[in-house]
Amino acid sequence: MSRGFGIDPSDAVPLWKQIEENVRRLVASGALKPASAMPSVRDLARDLSINPATVAKGYQRLVEAGVLVVKRGEGTFVAEKPPSVPRAEREKELEGGAMRYASLAVTIGAAPNEAIERVRHALGDLLRKKIGGPA
Amino acid sequence: MSATLSTGAAIVSIRSLVVRYGGDAKPILEEISFSVPKGSVYALLGRNGAGKSSLVRCLLGQQKPTAGGCFLFGEDVWKRRARLMAKVGVVPEDPDAPPSMTARQLSAFCARIYPTWDAPAVEARLARFGVPAGTPYGSLSKGQRALVALALALASSPELLVLDDPTLGLDAVARRAFFEELVGELADRGTTVLLTSHDLTGVESMATHVGMLKGGRLILDEDLEALKSRFRRLRYANEATEDPTRYGQELSDFDAVKVKVRGWGVEAVVSNYGDETFTKFAALEGVVDAEASALSLEEIFVAIAGEASPAVKGNA
Repeated sequence: MSRGFGIDPSDAVPLWKQIEENVRRLVASGALKPASAMPSVRDLARDLSINPATVAKGYQRLVEAGVLVVKRGEGTFVAEKPPSVPRAEREKELEGGAMRYASLAVTIGAAPNEAIERVRHALGDLLRKKIGGPA
Repeated sequence: MSATLSTGAAIVSIRSLVVRYGGDAKPILEEISFSVPKGSVYALLGRNGAGKSSLVRCLLGQQKPTAGGCFLFGEDVWKRRARLMAKVGVVPEDPDAPPSMTARQLSAFCARIYPTWDAPAVEARLARFGVPAGTPYGSLSKGQRALVALALALASSPELLVLDDPTLGLDAVARRAFFEELVGELADRGTTVLLTSHDLTGVESMATHVGMLKGGRLILDEDLEALKSRFRRLRYANEATEDPTRYGQELSDFDAVKVKVRGWGVEAVVSNYGDETFTKFAALEGVVDAEASALSLEEIFVAIAGEASPAVKGNA
């Protein structure tokens, strides 16, 4: 379960954010199916050998965003449907994410075209995985 | 009265702590002040001789401060040691017990002292660790002793766990078991932890706060996430000047802690990084091919504390 999370404690991105982003990626690609059970905070923290408060913070953000849902007494699950995000909020999220990515691209010295090409590839990858075609 | 503490209250509070031995002019600890909030994992780092051991001894009420004091749950440790220590679990740097006693006998012995002792939990933890409860302490390996110490430290359901370099010299299996148990404890009880460690990889995954001692002074006391977000390694070629002694002036906005001139250009560790500052910097006349990369806690420690951490040999 924890393999797909591939977190790196020494990365500049905080661990809770890595968890948040990885779960989003796994949901987006269909690797985590709608309504499937997430590992408990305790189990995932043990698997990854990280502070459970960090996992809880990542999960909390995903619950707030509607990507995950908490069922009382049962645990945390992937939402049945992708969250419906109001247009204004979606634009703000996309803008923030794009700025973070653009900053990364600039700080490691990537050319603009190279950076844009990568986004295209990533989107293509995710969509293909979701459709279930050849990876 | 027992102090009730709200979330965020300080479990540990070190106030202007000074420790001086004999007639030494220079104190071992100079005016140290910091606090450990409830539910946090505070990692106290420092090279050997930085003053960590003296601080831990004072914190556990084993040593009287020359000035200032250590407060646990709001009370002075030196004055109320016995009562306060009942709420603290300790894994010492070199766990020690009578060599002929087994872990089970040690647990039974402690059960008479601590009212909240959970002997079955000790047995369950030892079984999880694969450490025999009936083997004399003296016949256990170093890793097994550390795990026994952890099982005993957790048996009284402590509100504060003090871990003094607990994974030093442990093999990978024992280290993994130690951290798994610690994670479980944090998940189940939200125990506050103060640890000293050479194992910066472990610290980086577990700590919420970091303090750094150097030469008896606390040179850093910060949230780990904030610390990591403001440190970066910058690499760039400087084509603005021919004079190597002037390299680094273009870094003034970044508060560089270390600048090295290499054959290809300049490498610097900066302590005040920001994306916007970097964008401006990268556009400066003469700054070419600027790159910024993240630093691990180990690398930050080396940059600030000055020399390689012993972690490299201790926990390879």
